[in-house]
Amino acid sequence: MGGVDVGGGGGGKREMNSEINMIPMIDLLMVLISFLLITAVWTHMGRLNADAQVPGPPREVEPDKVEVEKQLHVEMRSPDKFVLIWKQGGTVISTVDVPRKDNVIEKEGKKMIRFPELAAKIEQEWKTAGSHRDPSDKKFDQAILHTDNETPYVYLIGVIDAIYKAHRPFNVGGKAEQVPAFNVTFAVN
Amino acid sequence: MTIAKPGRRLMHQVPLKFVQKKVKGGGHRATNASLTLTPMIDFLIVTVVFLILSFDPSGDKTLAKGVRLPDAENTIDMIDAPMVAITGSLILVDGNAAGNTRAVEDSKRLQRIDELFNMLKQKRELWKQLHPAKDFPGVVVLQIDQDVQAIVVKSVFQTAAFAGYPNVSFMVGEIPKTASAGE
Repeated sequence: MGGVDVGGGGGGKREMNSEINMIPMIDLLMVLISFLLITAVWTHMGRLNADAQVPGPPREVEPDKVEVEKQLHVEMRSPDKFVLIWKQGGTVISTVDVPRKDNVIEKEGKKMIRFPELAAKIEQEWKTAGSHRDPSDKKFDQAILHTDNETPYVYLIGVIDAIYKAHRPFNVGGKAEQVPAFNVTFAVN
Repeated sequence: MTIAKPGRRLMHQVPLKFVQKKVKGGGHRATNASLTLTPMIDFLIVTVVFLILSFDPSGDKTLAKGVRLPDAENTIDMIDAPMVAITGSLILVDGNAAGNTRAVEDSKRLQRIDELFNMLKQKRELWKQLHPAKDFPGVVVLQIDQDVQAIVVKSVFQTAAFAGYPNVSFMVGEIPKTASAGE
């Protein structure tokens, strides 16, 4: 047991040493550990952001001319390839095919799919053709995902994750942080 | 009465040698052992501190039943926002039914899901009443099962945007990042 030794206690006086009872403290610690272990969340959740590209509220003075920006269209309809198309309005600037390998890893009923070749190619495309690279630039390059209606969600997440692999510096409170270079949205058709 | 030699008498009736030896204290090592509690208490305190630091008091991030989330590497931190869960058969907004997944899959066309739209709109109006001086963030988090078809995802995405939530986040399991070729 824990104790406090202050010496003395001789000469017929009352003992000066006292013992602290540690059992209640150990009990309390054990109960705390049990509670925290039971309520602990061991799986870490994150999110992938997407932007629905809806028009903002009407302005009093409409801008005269809105410059149409370059957008990266990611086609995933074909089972053997992805197609990356840079478009400005209706004009196709460039097209790149990326071979597609669907390596689905299944673990305890949970599926996972990665497209590392696509991620690397998108990163390379952004480095050569991306428009918004300056850390002070508040805008982001736009990626539009084209998929057919039957594609399972896990494949969409694999492709969105690959698009978000490309990072750029972005000023947040005077400090440049690495953030995804693209904003992702879905094509309606 | 006979005069007995003075000495220990306790437990003499027990005819076992080792008991008698112990009672007499036959010069052996003490059988009582004291535990050192200090390392044990140190360990318990370190464990408690670690668990308290990693404790997450918010219960909002719990998964809806029947949803198996896919994993992703390039994620950002979760935020507090309305949660739309999509299982193989149901669409739920913060645990309340807001549509049927099968109906959207069977229709095979992109559509606005009216129940979901109305519930999200109500939530937006309530938020605006509660925070009249603030701008509405327009963020909604989607928990979608890994096998749900893209048509449902796109329909929910579009419905959320129509209801005033243009910033749609997909909730995923977080996995450690793999180094890219350049890193």
